[in-house]
Amino acid sequence: MKTGIFICHCGHNIKHTIDVKKLSQYFKKYPNVTVSEDYPFVCSEPGQDMIRESIEKQGLDRVLIASCTPSLHGDLFKDLLKKSDLNPFLLRRVSIREHCSWVGDDLEINTEKARRLILAGLYSAAHYVPLEEKVVEVTKSALIVGGGVSGLSAAAFLSKMGMQVYLVEKEAELGGHVRALKNIWPARKDGKEIIDEMVAELAGRKNVEIFTSTTISAFEGFFGNYEVTLATPEGEKKMTAGGVIVAIGFAPFDPIVKPELNYGKDERIITTLEFEERADTLQLPENPRIAILHCVGSRDEQIGKPYCSRVCCINALRVGEAVKNKCKDSYVESFYMDVRAHPRGGEEYFEDTQEKGVLFTRANVAEITPTPAGLVIRGEDTLFGEFFEREFDLVVLSIGMSPPIDNKLMATLFKITLDKDKFFLEAHIKLRPFDTAVKGIFIAGSCSGPKDVEESINHGRASAVKLFGFLNLGYAFVDPFISSVDPKRCSGCRMCETACVAKAIKFDEAKRVVHVEEAACMGCGLCNSTCPSSAISLKGSIDMMIDDEISALTEAI
Amino acid sequence: MQAKKLNNGAIEGVLNEFLKDEQHLVLGFEKDKNGVSHRIFKKSLDQYSFLNPLFSTNGALFLRRLFAKGMQIVLLLRPCEIRAYVELVKLTQIEREDIIAVSVDCLGTVSTKEKIDEIPTEAGQLDAYMKETDKMRWACKVCREPRGVVGDAGIRIDKNGAFWATSYTEKGEGFLSMIEGNLEEAPKEMLISEKEKLPKFQTNMDDFEKDFSKCIMCMNCRDMCPVCYCIDCVFNGDEYLPKGDALLNKVFRTGSTNMPQGKELFHLIRMYHVSQTCVGCGACEEACPQGIPLTKYFKGTSERLQGMFAYMSGRNFDEAIPYLTFLEDELKDVED
Amino acid sequence: MEEKTNKNPEIIGFACSFCTFKASEMAGSLRMKYPDGVKLVQVPCSSRVDPAFVIKAILEGADGAFVAGCHPGDCHFIKGNYYTRRKIAALKEMFDAFSMKDKLKLFWVSAAEARRFVEKVTGMYDEIKEKKNAGKKA
Repeated sequence: MKTGIFICHCGHNIKHTIDVKKLSQYFKKYPNVTVSEDYPFVCSEPGQDMIRESIEKQGLDRVLIASCTPSLHGDLFKDLLKKSDLNPFLLRRVSIREHCSWVGDDLEINTEKARRLILAGLYSAAHYVPLEEKVVEVTKSALIVGGGVSGLSAAAFLSKMGMQVYLVEKEAELGGHVRALKNIWPARKDGKEIIDEMVAELAGRKNVEIFTSTTISAFEGFFGNYEVTLATPEGEKKMTAGGVIVAIGFAPFDPIVKPELNYGKDERIITTLEFEERADTLQLPENPRIAILHCVGSRDEQIGKPYCSRVCCINALRVGEAVKNKCKDSYVESFYMDVRAHPRGGEEYFEDTQEKGVLFTRANVAEITPTPAGLVIRGEDTLFGEFFEREFDLVVLSIGMSPPIDNKLMATLFKITLDKDKFFLEAHIKLRPFDTAVKGIFIAGSCSGPKDVEESINHGRASAVKLFGFLNLGYAFVDPFISSVDPKRCSGCRMCETACVAKAIKFDEAKRVVHVEEAACMGCGLCNSTCPSSAISLKGSIDMMIDDEISALTEAI
Repeated sequence: MQAKKLNNGAIEGVLNEFLKDEQHLVLGFEKDKNGVSHRIFKKSLDQYSFLNPLFSTNGALFLRRLFAKGMQIVLLLRPCEIRAYVELVKLTQIEREDIIAVSVDCLGTVSTKEKIDEIPTEAGQLDAYMKETDKMRWACKVCREPRGVVGDAGIRIDKNGAFWATSYTEKGEGFLSMIEGNLEEAPKEMLISEKEKLPKFQTNMDDFEKDFSKCIMCMNCRDMCPVCYCIDCVFNGDEYLPKGDALLNKVFRTGSTNMPQGKELFHLIRMYHVSQTCVGCGACEEACPQGIPLTKYFKGTSERLQGMFAYMSGRNFDEAIPYLTFLEDELKDVED
Repeated sequence: MEEKTNKNPEIIGFACSFCTFKASEMAGSLRMKYPDGVKLVQVPCSSRVDPAFVIKAILEGADGAFVAGCHPGDCHFIKGNYYTRRKIAALKEMFDAFSMKDKLKLFWVSAAEARRFVEKVTGMYDEIKEKKNAGKKA
């Protein structure tokens, strides 16, 4: 066996707390180790060249890369092995960054931990065998769940690129929440206009099927060929989708959760969304006194919403501006924690609004009490540390974004994880922000956390580009990590068959042994741990590998 | 309990009639000058004995991988043997179709390792013998279910030493119908009553290591265990017990090791493997040349682990083995 | 078991690829600190963990082992972790019978719960360390 060990410095990230030189020297003396090198960036071009050269010159048959966590750069290194005519499943990744150098500060301790981790990888890799990736055909079609701006922009891109698109919307009309918005900053366009433009783009395309008032009743299968069943008003419809983009948006925060605001009990207390609808029909005195409350349903630990909803400050500014434009002599006061006008130009917009005469008071609002004369707001001015009590004719609550109502349902259906705030969790917050843990299923728009219109459109398009990359190939490699049975060892007790969740194990009555239906196997390994003699084993994760890893990790304790 | 009273020789008569068919067999006990042992009867029951007071192995061991299509077999065995049979049926190591499993009340057994010249096989005498001497195996003393209440049918002994046959399944009814006479209400009190529950088994690693330090890794305990059914045990391979070069490799990697190595590993893993199916018969201990008190550990642990899921090995054919099923709403306090 | 010389506990954790291992990645990315004695073995699903692995880890000298996976109902493989729960519950009962209950723990940590991951492993580490040192003094 000829193993090559490549230890990455990751600039300073690993080198800083792990003695990489010592490690590479240490492993040089190890039996079965032919090459042991450390390098500043193994993932860089020269780093890759070094590995390739070693494989080709030294005839390596195992490659161990100790660097960042295996879920990063996975395909990059796999391709590298392929290019060097080495089976990509003879690659072992050892995470010494996320699981070692970033976790502790002591150089000596970290170096020892990294040594053990690499050793575990080395022992485990000794049992690696070349595996063949299965190729599956990919249906060039996408299911897009949610007809808001993200869903529409994804549909527009994918259909333009020639993919069949099935767009599913729960409501009767496309457009989501954006449809109701007026004079959206900074474009100064009404939401309806934006939506109509986007829908018009789709309308003429033959490869787009739009299902409104439709829900998904079943979702099965694997990447490339997901089997979708829709419940449409015309009845059940079935289709095959190569991939999915989930863009189910958000739910506006319902201020009823905060009883001290008395929302819903007085018509003069409304949300920003209601203001959009009713701005023209509101019955107000000549020079109205209007209060705007920021951060309603955001940055509030008490109601379990510690996050910033990102859009509500701009929305609050829009309300102030609208009122001032209409009625110059009105009294408009915004109660804020701090104004986060994120997007480009937001800060200037904030200043403009102030110049127009909207007052900004940094305050904690304690309660709103409706009286016949007006709405009394009591609170604390946090700049001056004074309590105040002021009367208004209208209070607009700048509400935040809550996770979509169907988040749990969709999470179960598509096997997406929810984050702590119950939005959808991306595979990696920085490097894979559109992916989920499931191949071919992407998330877009505000269902993965609060986003404004522009961000949602971009997010939708970006997910579509990612999915297009997969679909356009027309085929996909499926991990060969499935179970297989050694019929000589199988006792035919059928325990694995009973336990198997995917029902992928079948019993041969004549031979009295089981076999695995490869297409159905999900690769969880439950059968392997259920079989007392390990006659059925999960490729890529056989008992010997894990046993030897344990041995390495516990070495000389 | 509705049962048929068995007159002297009645069961032998029935089974001899049954054996007239070429395809029929009976597995039961035979008494000869050397003692009592298992025997498969083909033509007729000679020197048949209901009770076998000597324990050498668990009879279910002989039934593993028994898929006798078309052959009819009647088993007349001890409850622990029938319970092991039931577990093996669940594990499809035996085809149940052509087998009628009859459990016979057990008055306890004596190890065949003991020096005994003569042991009675008649119920009353045997009961007295077991009470007078202290030769009963520990496994039998702490037996969970010595009553013939498992399998397809059961044979119970009343306080006067008379035998009663009763059925638990459809197959058992078929067996009962072969016996002459009418069903009647059997006495409430039988010679053997339900056993009390033992206190939870508790030990520690020090005691365990001490007890098992004598182990020579012959693995007889595994080979004689009726529910250790694997064709190829994991401990035959190199995964857990490397041999030869693999062993030396391991020593170079992990440091010195005492030999034979892997004793604790072998026993603990086997203990987990049989935890839901162990019937507590003590065949492992009988097979151990080193006199390790295996029953204490295996029976003790398995009873605890079965108790968690309100499961009892071999109690009936329809209970699923706990590791192969689950309830979504259970074991809330397992998470740490 | 070989005589232990190291005074700091060594804990082997079996972490499922889709939840706990992801959480541990995130914990690393967020530079959260936890003891170096905690080392992970990545498994595709917590149901892949054969109780034999845990027994082996303990007998090879680890002071503790934990099995960690997705929350019940959230398993990537739909139902795998319900089986894990039964198996590990039984194994814990067995460890209890051998008076070493504290050596095995079962955690549910989702991919989003980096903080929870760190809290759980640190808690287990501290608990074992305390017991270990208490034993030494006695």
